[in-house]
Amino acid sequence: MGIPIPNGKLGMWLFLGTEIMFFTAFIGTYIVLRLGSRGWPADPEVTHIRIWAGGTNTFVLITSSVFVVLAHEAMLMRNYRRVLNWVYATMALAFVFLAIKSYEYYGKYAHDILPGHVAESPQQALDKLVLELDAAAGIQPLQLEENSLANERTIKMGQKGQDKAVEALDTRLADVKERIGWLGGVGKACNPLTEKAKYGRISAADAEKELEQLRTEELPKLVEEKETELKQLAQGALKDDEFKKLKERKNAELKQISDSVRAIGSVHEPHVILWGNTFASVYFIMTGFHALHVVIGMIMFGVIILLGEANKLGPQHEVLVENSGLYWHFVDLVWIFLFPLIYIV
Amino acid sequence: MSDEHAPAPAGDHAAHEAHAPHFNCWIIFGILCVFTGVSWLADKMGDWGLLHKGVFLTFVVLAVACAKALFVMLYFMHLKFEGKWKFVLLAPTIVLAMAIPAALMPDIGSHYYDYQVPQTMPGAVSEDDAHHGGHTAGGHEKPAKSH
Repeated sequence: MGIPIPNGKLGMWLFLGTEIMFFTAFIGTYIVLRLGSRGWPADPEVTHIRIWAGGTNTFVLITSSVFVVLAHEAMLMRNYRRVLNWVYATMALAFVFLAIKSYEYYGKYAHDILPGHVAESPQQALDKLVLELDAAAGIQPLQLEENSLANERTIKMGQKGQDKAVEALDTRLADVKERIGWLGGVGKACNPLTEKAKYGRISAADAEKELEQLRTEELPKLVEEKETELKQLAQGALKDDEFKKLKERKNAELKQISDSVRAIGSVHEPHVILWGNTFASVYFIMTGFHALHVVIGMIMFGVIILLGEANKLGPQHEVLVENSGLYWHFVDLVWIFLFPLIYIV
Repeated sequence: MSDEHAPAPAGDHAAHEAHAPHFNCWIIFGILCVFTGVSWLADKMGDWGLLHKGVFLTFVVLAVACAKALFVMLYFMHLKFEGKWKFVLLAPTIVLAMAIPAALMPDIGSHYYDYQVPQTMPGAVSEDDAHHGGHTAGGHEKPAKSH
């Protein structure tokens, strides 16, 4: 009477049915959004899709599916050591999959292909460049701090018995003003590009070239000048402690400028990708949920490994091994569809 | 000799018998690798200009994906050797799965008239277009790759 399979297996199949609907919702949405978006970025050079990574992951998952089948066969033969070995091999391949996926995700992060971050018009790309350059140069936060300290000083000046507080604020203000002065050279170097970009007087492609020139020629020159200045610093008529203080300030100045130049090195090139935000959104939803399912599969295999290592694997765990295998095959199945849809088409 | 096994649940013995291996999984693995190679080759043939990219390439790679999925489901997931209950479980799932794209297609997937969003306005240009001829945004075809 009833379906001739264990309840656990029936439960897993019912769950997989819901999982099929879960993924077809995302994949179906991707297909529909893509078909409805004229100008969808199809070139993998633009979207930084690495076909070799997707192909390798396909091979990794197919191989791990075979290992899971072999683990189940070993379970049927009650060879628990072999079950453990095949599950270890599957787990290793799962880690390889996640490693390749992490590399791909890092590439997306490095090029700022993240939902909401992608510029979809030349002016958006230029505005983004200006914002990033201003943030990287570090002058604006210091100017904000200067304003805030100046306001606080004005308030304290009007209060009785706040002389020491005013003195402390004066010292901090002087320090902030000096730091703003240090970054004057950086600001001056970035200014021509930011002024042109703010008012759309430069194309995204030319802005990229100027940014590269800034990063490889002008800013390193600034750092070199400061380093030379520091090396050539002579004590002269200064006392020992005065010279030491001067050297400390010069070192702090060099560090401030170097930090600013390094931050400008991380500013993203202005790239325009139509529908880039929608692309990034569906890409991360589909592959992110798939990676989450891989992790869940690994947890299931972890349970089998723990049972195996404690010599507790027995015939009563056959359904557990089979169900873990079914789940893993489903994860492979989803990737079989994700690979051509994301990487090839 | 004591019985090592707990009393088997009803149907367990029959299930055990049904799950004895009926196929060589390495042959199926080989077939899956061949199919993956076919997908990759179709993509490369598109790059080399031997195959028209777009609808035809999409059809080929999705057909290959469906074939691979069938092999995984029939053999690795053992559905070939299971009873008719698999249709009862999977048919509603597949129907509902196809319903979502079908339901969204008229609203989002197809446009009967020109639709005006910033990405389709005159002058909208992307790197994709800049790489491949500088046309305005349009079309679903994947342009030839630059090397």
